[in-house]
Formats: sequence, C-alpha cells, structure tokens
Amino acid sequence: MKFKLPFKKKQKPIVNTSHNNKEILSPSKIDFIRSIKDATHSPADLMVKSMLPNLTLIYINNLVNDKNLNDHIITNLQNATMETPATIKQIIAIAEVNISSQLEEAITAIINGNVLIHMEGYSQVVLANVSTRESRSLTTPENESQVIGAQVGFNESLSTNISLVRRYIMSPDLCNEEIKVGTRTKTSLNILYMNGIASDQMVNTLRQRINDLDVDALLDSAVLVEMIDDNTLSPFPQMLLTERPDRFCDGLLNGKLGVIVDGSSMAIVCPQSFIEFFESREDQNLRWQVATFVRLLRFSAIFLSVFLTPIYVGALTFHYEVIPQAFLVPLSESRALVPFPPVFEALLLEFIIELLREAGARLPTKIGQTIGIVGGIVIGTAAVQAGITSNILLIIVALSALASFTTPSYIMGNVIRLIRFPIIILAGFWGFYGIMLAFCFILVHLLRQSSLGAPYMAPFYPPRFQDMRDSLIRLPLPYTAKRPSSVRATDQEKYNPEVEHPKKS
Amino acid sequence: MKIFKFYFILLFLPGILSGCVETNILDRVGLTTLVGYDAGTEEKIATTAVIREVNPEFQSNVEVVTTENETSKGNRMKANRKLSKKIMVGQMRVILFGEELAKDDLHFYIDTHLENASISNSLYLAVVEGETAPLLQYEYKNIDDIGQHIYRLIEQNVKQEHMISSSLHEIAHDFYMEGKDSAMPIIKREDDLIELTGIALFSGGKMVSTLPVEDSFYVKLVRDSFTSGIFETIIQKEDIPPNLMTGTASDMPVAFDAIRSKRVLKLVDPTTPEFDLQLKLKARLLEVYPDVNLGDPKVVEGIENAVSKNLSREISRVIAHSQNVQSDIFGFGEKYRSSVRNSNLTKEKWHEMYKNMKVNIKVEFDILRDGVFE
Repeated sequence: MKFKLPFKKKQKPIVNTSHNNKEILSPSKIDFIRSIKDATHSPADLMVKSMLPNLTLIYINNLVNDKNLNDHIITNLQNATMETPATIKQIIAIAEVNISSQLEEAITAIINGNVLIHMEGYSQVVLANVSTRESRSLTTPENESQVIGAQVGFNESLSTNISLVRRYIMSPDLCNEEIKVGTRTKTSLNILYMNGIASDQMVNTLRQRINDLDVDALLDSAVLVEMIDDNTLSPFPQMLLTERPDRFCDGLLNGKLGVIVDGSSMAIVCPQSFIEFFESREDQNLRWQVATFVRLLRFSAIFLSVFLTPIYVGALTFHYEVIPQAFLVPLSESRALVPFPPVFEALLLEFIIELLREAGARLPTKIGQTIGIVGGIVIGTAAVQAGITSNILLIIVALSALASFTTPSYIMGNVIRLIRFPIIILAGFWGFYGIMLAFCFILVHLLRQSSLGAPYMAPFYPPRFQDMRDSLIRLPLPYTAKRPSSVRATDQEKYNPEVEHPKKS
Repeated sequence: MKIFKFYFILLFLPGILSGCVETNILDRVGLTTLVGYDAGTEEKIATTAVIREVNPEFQSNVEVVTTENETSKGNRMKANRKLSKKIMVGQMRVILFGEELAKDDLHFYIDTHLENASISNSLYLAVVEGETAPLLQYEYKNIDDIGQHIYRLIEQNVKQEHMISSSLHEIAHDFYMEGKDSAMPIIKREDDLIELTGIALFSGGKMVSTLPVEDSFYVKLVRDSFTSGIFETIIQKEDIPPNLMTGTASDMPVAFDAIRSKRVLKLVDPTTPEFDLQLKLKARLLEVYPDVNLGDPKVVEGIENAVSKNLSREISRVIAHSQNVQSDIFGFGEKYRSSVRNSNLTKEKWHEMYKNMKVNIKVEFDILRDGVFE
C-alpha cells in the first residue's frame, strides 16, 4: 500500500480560461491606462509616463532597469517619429521586444518587468523587456563546503544558476525546458538534462509530475521535492538537493535530471539512490585510496550515529553479559550516581544535543557558535557533575552527533539524527531485539523506496557489481567508466576504459 | 481509516504490553565473577560466590558469599537474601570445584551451566586442591578482586600455552564425546598468591588422578598442536651423547621457546588398539646449562637426538599414567571412533580398550636457531 497525498490524485478542474480573458486592449489612451490599473489593482510603484506626441509608457518601477529604460527606450523614442507600433519595435535598442493587443499578455509582461508602450489609436502595445531582478552575488556554498574543488554555489536567480551550469557543460545537448508552477506565484522552473544520456522515460515522468501539480504557490525547491518524489510520507529524501553547480553537473553527466527553481538556491537532482546521498563531490577530486577511506569513514560514521547510543542503552538495560570485562567497572562506576534508567538518560542527553543544534542554527552565526561551545561544555560538564548522566554516555552522544554531521547532504543528516530516537526507545523497551527490529524495519522501508522509478538501494539491491565500484568505495577511474545502471542512461559508457600508460623514458 | 486505526492499535497493544521485559540495569545488579562449588553436608551443595557490587560511596567492592542448598539456583536465592543487589551470573568467568566434589561427579554442574543461556561458554573451569571456600574467603594482601584475578591467572597461562585450556565449551565437548576425557587445571593458595599446581584427569565426570604442572607441556603436545611458549626439560645422563659430556654434570637442563609442533596420529591396529604418534617439533634453543659449542652442527644434532629421546620417554610416561587411571585426555578414542567403521564406541567400552592400548611414539625435534634471546 502506498500513501499518496490527495492533491496528487486530484484532477485539475477543467476551466476554460482561454475564452474569458481574451480582452482586447483599448486604442484610447485613457481607457488603456484604466484597464491596466484595474488589472494590477493600481500598485504604488506603477509608473505611467506620457510622451509626446501620442505615446504612453507604463511599467512597474521596481522591476525595470532604469538605465536601460532611459538609454535604450526613452532616448530613442524622443529622437524619432513613429507612426505605428511596428516602427517603435524597430527603433528600440532592446533585444526582447514583442507586440501584443491582449490585456492578459500585457499584464503578464508588466509583472515580469516589461515596459508597455501604447500609441494612441492602436490597440497593439509594444512590450519591451528591460527587467532587472535583485539577487545576491555568487558565494561559496554554505551548507556543502568542501576543501578541494570549486568554491561557488548557486544563488537565488534562475538565470545565474543556468549560466553556471552552462559554464560547466558547454554542449548543445544540454536541454533546458521551462515550466511555470503555481497558480498565484507563477514560479518558473527549468528541467535540465543531457540529451543522449538521460533516459527519455524519466524525463517524461518528471515533466508529467511537475505539470500535474496543482498548487497555488511554490517558494522553494525543497517543497517541490516533497511534492514530486515517489513516497512523500517517507522521512528519507528521494531526490538530492544541492547548492553546488559541480555536483549538479556531475549528476547531469551521469544521466540524471536536474531541476532549478527560480528563487531557490538549491537545485534538485534525481533519480538519487540512498548510497549517493553519502557521497561527496570532493571524492572525485581526491585520489581513489583517500576517497575510499573517506567514504568508508562516512558510512561507519552513519552506523555509529544511528546505533551507538541504542547499543549503550540496550547493553546497560538488558544485556550486561556483552560488556567486556575491562569495561565493566568504569562503566558501572560512572553510572552509579545516575538515578535514571539508561533509556531516559540517553534520551535526555540526545534532547540536549538537539536543542543546542537547533538553537545554534536559528541564532545569528556569531552568537550561534558561542551558544554551541559554551552550551556544550557547560551543560555537559554540569550534567555529569550533577549526576544526571554518566561520562561515557556523554562521549557516546557527542560522538554520534558528530558522526551525523559528516553526511554531505544536510537533509539526509537530519533524517539520520531523527531515526535514532525511535531506536533508542525500542532499545530501552526490548534491548538488542528492539534494535534489530528497528534495523529490519528501516531496511525494509529503504528497500521499498524508489527514486523516480529507479531503485533506492541501488547498487546493492538489485545487486549491480559494476556499479558497486563507485559506491561504498571508489575504485580508480578506469574501473568506473560506466554510468550507474539505475539511471537507465541511453549512453552507458562515460569514456573508453582502456588506459594508455605513458611510456617510461 | 477507521479500520487502519483499529489494526494499528491491535498490533501495538500486545507489543507494548509484552514489552515489559525484566530489566537488568548494570549498576543495579551484583555481578558474579566467580563461583566455587564444594561438597556440602548431607548431599547439599555449598556455593561460594564472588560478587562485584558497585556503590557510589566506596568505589566498588567484592563480596564473597557462601551458602548451602540443594541446587545452585537455590544457592543463588539464598545469596540474594544477603545482598542489596540482584545477583546475575552473565559476567561469570571462572567456576571452581572443590577436590572432594570433583572426585564425586561433575556431570550435573557441566549440564546446568551449559543449559543456562546467560552463562558464557568461554568461562574456565578449574579444580581447587582442598576446598574452594577457604581459598576464596582468604583476605589476600595484593589481590583486589579474587574472581578477576583467578580468571586472568588461568587465561594468561592458557594463552601462553603453559596450561591446557579448560573452557566450559571444551570441557563439555570432551565430556560428551565418546573417545575423550576432560582435564582441568588445579589451583592452590600459596600464602598470598594463587598458583597453578597441576592437571586434574577426569574419567567421565569423575576426577581420577592428577599430573604435576610440569607435565602439562607433554599433555598439550599430544592433545593438540603447539604454537608458542617456553619449555624446559632435563636431559638425563644416558641420553646425552658422549661427545657432549663435560665430565662433572650428570644432567643437562635445556630450555626452548617458539615451539611449533605438528601431531600426526594413526591407528595401525584396531584390535589391540595400536597407534602411531608422530610429533614434529621446531624450536629455538634458549638455554643450555653446561657450556657446549652450539656452532658445531654435530653438537646440535646430538642435542636434538637427546631431546627427542627425552621427549618420547616423558610422553610415554604420561600416557601410561593416564592409561592406569583410565582417563583418555588425549583423544585417542576419538581417532579410533573415526577410523573404525561401526565401532559403536561408548565411554565404558573405550575405557576397557584404553587400558591395553599401545602407542608408538616418534619424535622429530628440530633446533631452528640458537643463541637468540628474547
């Protein structure tokens, strides 16, 4: 049984919008201005500028680039005489100029930063695009920093982001489709993929899922992921959100599909398997031995993070037999003062750690760091001295929190921290049996997931030995010449795996 | 949705209700590290348990509790009445038996401990000369936790291959096997120390005889292979080649180490039965008492021959002793059972045959190098 949110199933209400709004603009100047003001509810920044002899310019002040407006439109209009809107189109030194006579089209254009040039006596208006969008400059990616590799991240502007991608992949095969989502926000998003590599079926699936959306607003790509992924109710993300253009392009070149949403600094990469969430782009930049070591470190960190505290709880509550003899005395002595059962002790400490993390994330950066350090040290030491927790648990909890932050994807790291809590509770109730139960449950859940139809646990289930060369470990480049088979790439080979060794002189 | 909720509750109720498993929180249980059994009065079992308790006030203390009851579980209940913490046996490392009890029968004890799932199968069994209670109750000057101390003592000697290994797993294996008998170390208190003094030989569940601790090397050599450890022997006068005789000394003590041995056992005649035991040993010569010239290959060969002769004589002595007391601790019977088809071997049957068994011992001793010291 698969749970789907109702809005996915709901059919779009069939409304024939095309007939109603085919209103034609008025040739009269006063009527034209009134119709525009009515349609836009006469905002304060709507500028109406009359020009002699018979021209009217209407635009929204904050959306247009003043310099372009002055230099390329107003100057040109003043210096020439025109008879028809077609001649205006000729003399304006702007690349994107259209002529339209429909009110709806004119309104959309003005909202997007066009200048409407109306000529008395004509119902057609000239739409000249001089839009400007406020956006911050490119910075290093804050959430996915890496030591070796490019230091640029996406920002909130769609066009900047696409130009970043185009800079990495200079190929006519890079396909770019624009879709508008949101009945109210009309957010533009672009689907990017490599023609000749990406599977057509997946492109169609993704396109259809986005087209089928019936939402009124789309403010961030993370929301879009939750709406279009395969299992919306799973805590595990099935599509990667990344703010690194190099990682995005790496995905595209491997046959994956990318989505960039306007106004969001995170781009979507799909299909993404579970293992790939723990791979960093940096692994490709390191030598394979080092990369393999780092990856194994990361995977063991995840296991530690999920199971270390539950094992402590289980061992101390039920299975004192498994504690090594050398460990027995220090462990029981540090526990001797603690009045709570281990499960309560562990939950308390995990709760404190999560509080510190959340407080640190919400506060301004400078204060956040102070809170993290001071809170950690003060609360940690005080808790041990007050006899609320044991020293050893403090180390274990700190270690597992630290380990959870090694996950390159912050969203996956959150899931790792979240699933620890039910496992701790189960370990407190049923000991190791509960841990195994939780492990089996998670494993079954993961096996049932898919990402855009591709298996989530690839390449381990279904087993694809060739793909395993670049999963838990990373083998040298000649051995990883194939694209992952789970993305169903049209072109399987990345390059010729035959290596020509340079001759030794 | 209603049906879904109903099944959800139905599934979780038994889960939560049956989830009330008995907890054994580490700092609220008393951990038994060692148990000693003695023959008590009137068919009762006298149990002495070494229990480690953790208290926040004083760091931790070790209690030695002696109780008498019909069963070991009854003894545990009785000991519980004397202590503030629940006694658990999951961390038990050593079980000791009093000599008198061992001579009676250990069958019951091996069974009960084997059946208890929380008891580790890698704990060591040992026999105490005399009674266990006085050994455990004695206040040793330098030993803090007597249970741990005895465990470390036995473990250290087993790892160094100075003593035969006697874990519960191995003892039970030997005990239930038709063609083999078990052997355990014997320990004894020497003033403020505890010492391994010998090997107890069992016939079935009964302790029948002992061997001095020096013979454990030979027992180990015949039982299984050797990979490390130091060994000292005294070559007797008649074995010493004449060219090595320096005149005054009558015996020649030698010490070896890093011994690698290989044992090949063959049944040559199933009727008697008769075995061929071939032992290949490789060793480093550590010490020779009278000064001999080890640079001379002839001298080395002489020593090799002398040691071979010495070893085969000692081994046949040990085997003969075990034959006398009908305790096949070497597992010759197992070889017999696996070599003879439809032998239907039982312990009694084998013990009868074991008395008349013949073993031809052949020892090949190689000195790999000499003059190398630790």
